[in-house]
Amino acid sequence: MSQDPRLVRVLVGCYPARWRRVHGDEYSQLLCDLQVHRHPALVLDSLRGAARARLVPGGLTMSTRSPMTVAVWAAALFTVAGLGFQKLSEELLTVANGIRTLLAIAAAVALLALVVAAVPTAVALVRGRDHRAWWYVAVPFVACAAWLVLVQVALAVADGHGVHATQTRLAAAAVALGGLGAVAATAWAASTVLRRVPAEQPPGLRRTALAVLAVGMGATTVLAVLWGLLVHAHDPSAFTGDQGLVATPFVPSWLGTVALMAGAAVLAGVASRRQSATER
Amino acid sequence: MADDLGRWAEPGLLILASLADGEKHGYAITADVAEQVGVRLGPGTLYAALGRLEALGLIEGRPAEGRRRPYRLTAAGATELTAQSRRMHRLATLSLGRLGTVQA
Repeated sequence: MSQDPRLVRVLVGCYPARWRRVHGDEYSQLLCDLQVHRHPALVLDSLRGAARARLVPGGLTMSTRSPMTVAVWAAALFTVAGLGFQKLSEELLTVANGIRTLLAIAAAVALLALVVAAVPTAVALVRGRDHRAWWYVAVPFVACAAWLVLVQVALAVADGHGVHATQTRLAAAAVALGGLGAVAATAWAASTVLRRVPAEQPPGLRRTALAVLAVGMGATTVLAVLWGLLVHAHDPSAFTGDQGLVATPFVPSWLGTVALMAGAAVLAGVASRRQSATER
Repeated sequence: MADDLGRWAEPGLLILASLADGEKHGYAITADVAEQVGVRLGPGTLYAALGRLEALGLIEGRPAEGRRRPYRLTAAGATELTAQSRRMHRLATLSLGRLGTVQA
């Protein structure tokens, strides 16, 4: 492959690594046989093929976007939405408490399903199938520690200022962004471990777990919508007031939280569908 | 499955037809399709279709010969190609017959 013309190497390099491991050599040879450097249309066609291989699920050899990777990122988005909902609802505990409880149960079931799906990989990791993967396990702890330090700094910056003060808002934004970074780093580490640690999967485990994940996230989203409507019915002043995130209006915070949950549910649905297709 | 391969110029169907007379590697498939049907399959299109057909079990990759990997039709691929060809043959017969009636 290193003897191939630069253009051929670039075009092959556009494909996902997993695809290249299976088809890289034969595809390089085909591009050489076709004299691709003389045909811009073939270059474009190759680029389209690479984009398709990255974006469209096409089985194990055609895509690096494994169902578990998508599920982990869905869980990350869901976690962010859940934290937002918790923050949003903590000052409205007397309204629609039953819905909040149901929502918490649905969310717990969804996330527990993802944990169950990851158990075979965790067992393989503990059994030492891939020692280097332990480095990734440290990522969430380091990220959380860094975020806690950031929170302390933010508290110091906001200390003595009102809730609408610029310092307070900047500190809150820094804490939120830091939290997002910690969640993203954790999701990245988790998906990397799930991808690289070889683990035998019991038949149907992941398919069932990811289906439960998608249903749980969908139910959580519906309950979050219901909760907001009940707030509107029982406490109109809170609904129209500035009891949203970081003392902003309630409605955009509520809708934003619901949108994040819905996005996570859609991603989980995609993961579930891909897993089912893989096991068929 | 039939819907996936039903369009006349669908690369998957062209590849199945090309492999019907024996195994071929990627370049041989593109050359054969270009010569016999007049359709030029780009490399990205070809490999996307090969991957799809392989995942469906209609073709299978053979051990590589140097850097070229031949592909061949499976029994399921032959059955699918037969079914599609008969369907297209019926459609062609019907269309030509009706056009002939119209022109007469």
